[in-house]
Amino acid sequence: MKRIARVLAVVGAALAARGADITVRGEGTGKDAVSLSGLAVSGESGRLFAQTLQSDLQRSGWFRIDPAGQIQVAGSAAARPDGLAVAARVSWPGKRFDWNRSSGVGVPDVRRLAHQLADEMVRHIKGERGIASTRVVFVNRRGPNNADLFVCDADGSGLAQITQDAMAAVGPKWDCDGLHILYTGYLRGSPAVYRFPATGGRRMPLAKFNGLNAGAEVSPDGRTVALILSVTGNPEVHTLDLSSGATVRLTHTPHAVEASPAWSPDGTRIVYVSDAAGAPHLYCLDVRTKRSRRLTYKGSENVNPDWAPNGRIAYATLRAGSYQIAVLDPDAGGEPDGTLTSGPDHEDPSWAPDSRHIVCSRAEGPGRSSLWILDTGGDSPVRLFSHSGNWMSPDWSDK
Amino acid sequence: MRMNQLVKLALVACILATGSGCSTVRRWFGLGPKGTADETAVTEVPWDAETQALLGGAGSFAETRQPVAGVSFRPVYFGFDSYQVAPVEVAKIEQVAQHLMQNRAHVVLIDGHCDERGSNEYNLSLGEQRAQTIRGYLVNLGIDGARVQTRSFGEEKPAAPGRSEEAYRLNRRGEFGVYR
Repeated sequence: MKRIARVLAVVGAALAARGADITVRGEGTGKDAVSLSGLAVSGESGRLFAQTLQSDLQRSGWFRIDPAGQIQVAGSAAARPDGLAVAARVSWPGKRFDWNRSSGVGVPDVRRLAHQLADEMVRHIKGERGIASTRVVFVNRRGPNNADLFVCDADGSGLAQITQDAMAAVGPKWDCDGLHILYTGYLRGSPAVYRFPATGGRRMPLAKFNGLNAGAEVSPDGRTVALILSVTGNPEVHTLDLSSGATVRLTHTPHAVEASPAWSPDGTRIVYVSDAAGAPHLYCLDVRTKRSRRLTYKGSENVNPDWAPNGRIAYATLRAGSYQIAVLDPDAGGEPDGTLTSGPDHEDPSWAPDSRHIVCSRAEGPGRSSLWILDTGGDSPVRLFSHSGNWMSPDWSDK
Repeated sequence: MRMNQLVKLALVACILATGSGCSTVRRWFGLGPKGTADETAVTEVPWDAETQALLGGAGSFAETRQPVAGVSFRPVYFGFDSYQVAPVEVAKIEQVAQHLMQNRAHVVLIDGHCDERGSNEYNLSLGEQRAQTIRGYLVNLGIDGARVQTRSFGEEKPAAPGRSEEAYRLNRRGEFGVYR
């Protein structure tokens, strides 16, 4: 028991040392208390497991850590020569589940195991989709025509560079399989849409028509890509059928520019940006009828739409001279007066699969920007990781 | 030749026709469930000119031709969030048209660029529209459209550093690359 107390003290100190990274507003209010006191941990990997689990539960937005909490995680996370063995029982009034898993000794293996338990707790206890096991892909721009793609876990750990091109790279998006990335690259000199494994590896061109190939996003069923092509004369929203290779043009605006198509959760609609009204605004089109309807009027620009699984659209709105993140419900109609963010420019929002958290970029000064996680549930923004640089265009994986 | 094309068509059709959903994509690119298993085997399928033509463009002038040394033209500048060519800029396009008239073997690749303000993806489309607008002028001046290609860099390749209005003005541009 003494050992557990010591371990928890270490965990607490480690978390406190990370400072603002885990600041949570409204502590206690509306959150369920979880006690990890009954989890006996041993070895470096056992401690890492407990630390990661605690951080994940707090970042989920649903829980707070409290030794007197009614939700109790008991059992053991024991380091063995060949890895970590976890035998845990999670119990709360009237219910419980057992969770027995093991992993390799590597830090990513141990962290992944903790992410899985955190997501299971969110699912069983709250009936919500957990996000601890998800990942984020984004761009690091070092200078003119000098950028590369990176990924990290949803808690900012495991930062890894996945391209080594030092050339322009725009708009990375996860494929629905959670394993591959689509983006616009210039490997052959002209912008083309490429797809490749998120672990790095060979880039395969998906679309390389004359002119622009950009903004590709895979439909929820994985069969179709929405993208911007200009092969017919100017940038328009198209779909590309991945089975037949056939393209369909969905907009026809010879005197306007389209960008940033994003699928609705049921795959029947696409929200996109068009300057048909003189400035970039959001429009929603029905894929079957090809009919479009304008969604936004407020602000001088509205860009970067992303559709959450629960039907809400996050976007960047230019109001009073700065870009801020806002959320609208396309079916209820109307636009919000308020924004989720304030102060410096915030751009490129992307929903987590829990329809609650949003990752976006935030300007930090000339040539520098950072990535932040916003919580539409009310917790304070959390910086994804602290490395300085010009980090932009984050996209949150569905899986 | 014809037979060869048919074989390639069939090959591509076979690759494309397998499975459904995300697994289609994985199979298309020869990736197993974890993105490893049969990767090597299928990525060996050559992505040659004819397959490219089937699935998309045959490659831009920057890939398929040689730049012409010693020939350069002044960039065409644009207003904020605009792809209209100002009257004062039109003469620059006319000079390019004249060169293309006089040098029948030459072609031109127009690069569209934007200043850094605004969405990166929107700027890619805006840069493309700027290049397309210039292309429209060249075609109206009698240049065969097949000799004029467009390429957008959005805000990715600024000509001038910094965040001054002057830098922004210099970055909102269309540049001409002449190839043979």
